[in-house]
Amino acid sequence: MLAESTYGAWFPPMLSEHGGEIDHLISVVHWFMLALFVGWGIFFVYCLVRFRQRGGHKAVYNPVKGKISKYVEIAVGVFEAFLLVGLSMPVWDWYKNEPPDAGADRCEIRVVGEQFQWNFHYPGPDGKFGRTDAALIDTATNPLGIDWENEDAKDDVFSQEMHLPVGKDIYVRITSKDVIHSFAIPTMRVKQDSIPGMEIPVWFKVKKDATTAKLKESMTQTYPIDKIKWRRIRHHVAVEDYQDRSGQVVLAKGAPLGNNLEQGEKLINTLRESGHTELVLQPANPLEVICAQLCGNNHYTMKAQLITHEPADFDAWVQEMIEDRTAGSEMFEDF
Amino acid sequence: MSAEHHHEHDLPFWRKYVFSVDHKVIGVQYTVTGLLFLFFGFCLMMIMRWQLAYPLEAIPVIGTWLSQSMVDADGVLIGDGYNALGAMHGTIMVFLGVVPLAVGGFGNFVLPLQVGAPDMAFPKLNMASYWVYLVGGIVMLIGFFVPGGAANSGWTSYTPLANIATTGQTVWLFGMVLLITSSLLGSVNFIVTTVQLRAKGLSFFRLPFFVWAQFVTSFLLLLAFPPLEAAGVLQLMDRLADTSFFMPTGLVVSGELQESIYSGGGSPLLWQHLFWFLAHPEVYVLILPAMGILGEVIACNTRKPLWGYKSLVYSAIFLGFMSFIVWAHHMFMTGMGTTLSTFFQATTMIISVPSVIILTCFIISLWNASIRYNTPMLFALAFLPMFAIGGLTGLPLGLTASDIHLHDTYYVIGHFHYVVAPGTIFALFAGVYHWFPKVTGRKMSEFMGKLHFWPSFVFINAVFMPMFFVGMAGVLRRQFDQTEQLQGAVVHGLTIMSSWGAWGLGLAQIPFIINFFWSIRKGEKVGDNPWEATTLEWAAPSPPPHGNFETVPVVHCGPYEYSVPEKKTDYCPQNVVMEA
Ligand code: HEM
Ligand SMILES: [Cu+2]
Ligand SMILES: [Cu+2]
Repeated sequence: MLAESTYGAWFPPMLSEHGGEIDHLISVVHWFMLALFVGWGIFFVYCLVRFRQRGGHKAVYNPVKGKISKYVEIAVGVFEAFLLVGLSMPVWDWYKNEPPDAGADRCEIRVVGEQFQWNFHYPGPDGKFGRTDAALIDTATNPLGIDWENEDAKDDVFSQEMHLPVGKDIYVRITSKDVIHSFAIPTMRVKQDSIPGMEIPVWFKVKKDATTAKLKESMTQTYPIDKIKWRRIRHHVAVEDYQDRSGQVVLAKGAPLGNNLEQGEKLINTLRESGHTELVLQPANPLEVICAQLCGNNHYTMKAQLITHEPADFDAWVQEMIEDRTAGSEMFEDF
Repeated sequence: MSAEHHHEHDLPFWRKYVFSVDHKVIGVQYTVTGLLFLFFGFCLMMIMRWQLAYPLEAIPVIGTWLSQSMVDADGVLIGDGYNALGAMHGTIMVFLGVVPLAVGGFGNFVLPLQVGAPDMAFPKLNMASYWVYLVGGIVMLIGFFVPGGAANSGWTSYTPLANIATTGQTVWLFGMVLLITSSLLGSVNFIVTTVQLRAKGLSFFRLPFFVWAQFVTSFLLLLAFPPLEAAGVLQLMDRLADTSFFMPTGLVVSGELQESIYSGGGSPLLWQHLFWFLAHPEVYVLILPAMGILGEVIACNTRKPLWGYKSLVYSAIFLGFMSFIVWAHHMFMTGMGTTLSTFFQATTMIISVPSVIILTCFIISLWNASIRYNTPMLFALAFLPMFAIGGLTGLPLGLTASDIHLHDTYYVIGHFHYVVAPGTIFALFAGVYHWFPKVTGRKMSEFMGKLHFWPSFVFINAVFMPMFFVGMAGVLRRQFDQTEQLQGAVVHGLTIMSSWGAWGLGLAQIPFIINFFWSIRKGEKVGDNPWEATTLEWAAPSPPPHGNFETVPVVHCGPYEYSVPEKKTDYCPQNVVMEA
């Protein structure tokens, strides 16, 4: 499954446990639509040709008597009912009414949208979110106003990247500081508006083998250099060093292609002129949290990197974040 | 009545052609203004398509002419400039383009003629409706010139974003209040005219489908707009008087606690409910008149009665009614519970049934027909598969589970544009070509008409078909630069194709513009009933004089008596007792 996980013109990669049912529903609906459209289309085109105005041909006044349209309409109605009751409601019911049990196995995260970034608040090993206070908000250092002196907050983690353990229940509580945003992870088939004054939960589970490391591997692709457009690969990095004719490395392994059209195109040109015929690239980071609701000037830049880990690695990341913060604040005190 | 009408030629120019109370002059005023706004809204879109295809590259030629609220010094669009173009494109297309053209233009000109009336029931109200609309339109345009530029919170103006937006939003709200008022004045008029002024013998079930469509549309406007007008005033209060109707407690904007400004306690979602309570019926306001035009053009050019006339009428009424109880399907992602979402999913599935019936009736009408392929008919026929695509793609959006993935993506943009662009807009073109001879006494050129139709048909699909794939890949709507996101960068090629389609579509309108003006003066002169149609407007002279009919028409039969066996001609006008 994962081997095929790459971005293209149909679905994006599907990496959550429930997402398959959503894709299945979308596929079924599209086959149904296609069948109806082709059916109608054949009748339509037949009429256009067969009943065109021409010498000796006359329209017939008597209305068509057949019942076939009735049957088609009823069949459409019945099938729609099936889609609704059989395929849509079960997923939605789970999505809205069956939260994972609270407990050690559930990874809980508070997500707060703001113009134009996502903020993530993890409760840490104690499972309790520390107190927050709007008066403590500092846009640069403490966007959520977490009271770091609070007992429950001592092991909390604040991050602007979203880190998730694979194979575990994820329980996300979503809200916003200012305007309405929408928390969206296309690859997880998750979307939920983030609304100020309301806290709305969503839950899902990342597929067991969908770690960021493995995804990068599976999304590694060879691109013929003649066809490369910088814009299409701007979020990719090289998996090996590429040199120009003089042997100088112009695109280093892991280095991004830059964030600028002119420089990017120039670099690709240099590589082409240096005799390279293809580039092997992978996304710098294959997963993103984006904002699906218009939220102002920089709405389009509102995204967070999403990084998925094996559960043990996730715990390690949490520890590291806690240590970094305490180390940081001690340093601050010394200073 | 007739005595005063026949003094019309004594009126000074400005009373006759500018501040006229004649429904036909008002209809033409609405049509021309509506077409201009459609063109303007389309131009805004062509600029946006540049930024989408070539993000952050200077807009060619006109880039540096645009105001500093939209572009930087090099003529590169900025984020809020893009958002303003998007919000104004949506607003202008819906409220200043399509509705005025479909209802104010076609409704005004054709409906009184089709019911055999000398004018609208309230001619002065009718005139007021046009002028309020025009002022509303001008106010909307003024938005582009205030500090911060035009409204940039989407045509939906979701709060709190719209509450804290620049001055343009205030202008937008004033504009909306005027436009809504105009629509209310119009809709009352249509309803009373249809009920009171029908010619003798013209019972409800002898009304052309066009009249039915306008009649139902008027009820939608009358009942759905007032809540939005109220909501608009509330948002104005939030913006100007710092009330908190839509502002929750504890808002922090750019690090600033808003408590000192707003008391809080309001609900951002309240706005969405009020907005969509209007805006879903509005969708049917965009589509029903188009279906009405289609009924006329198809019956006339198949030379046979519409199949299932009564089903069409009942479906239109049912559609109108249902359209009031589906609004929250636009809000599935706001955290709605299962009970409510089940209700709205079910009503959404149910409302698709009358649409299917209407489409089916039109298609079955082609059976055993003798199809005349003139320009209006080509546009009308193209409507059918295009509207089918638009309607069908609404299904996965109406089911909550699939909507999780598709909500707010380009799939939605593709879906509703198939309904309103190659759907409604094509029907409106069909209407222009069909009724042009009635308005001017001349036909538009068939050759130029076909030169307009075929490229438009190809290009419009090139614009919108790729959007389904882009959306399916997860690319969101209202994105200034979609390549900022991984999946957006990957499918960027499809977006470039869409943009070229849009510019091609723009070029394809040149034959129409030329044809339109050329035909007013030079078009082939035709008689009163060039299409050999049956409905009453063709019984009046072309162009109809003030007061419309030379003799008061009396109706003897249904609207679409084409190819009646044993009759002399293949059409029986409603006002003529046809001998065998
Ligand atoms: C025929 C040419 C048209 C083209 C090429 C076109 C293209 C587009 C595109 C690309 C968007 C998405 C912009 C974005 O999400 O950033 C858009 C939005 C929209 N369009 Fe059109 N459109 C056309 C006609 C129409 C018509 C006829 C209507 C209405 C009757 C309409 C109503 C809207 C609305 C309401 C939006 C949403 C605006 C918003 O996001 O607030 N468009 N159009
Ligand atoms: Cu946002
Ligand atoms: Cu709707």
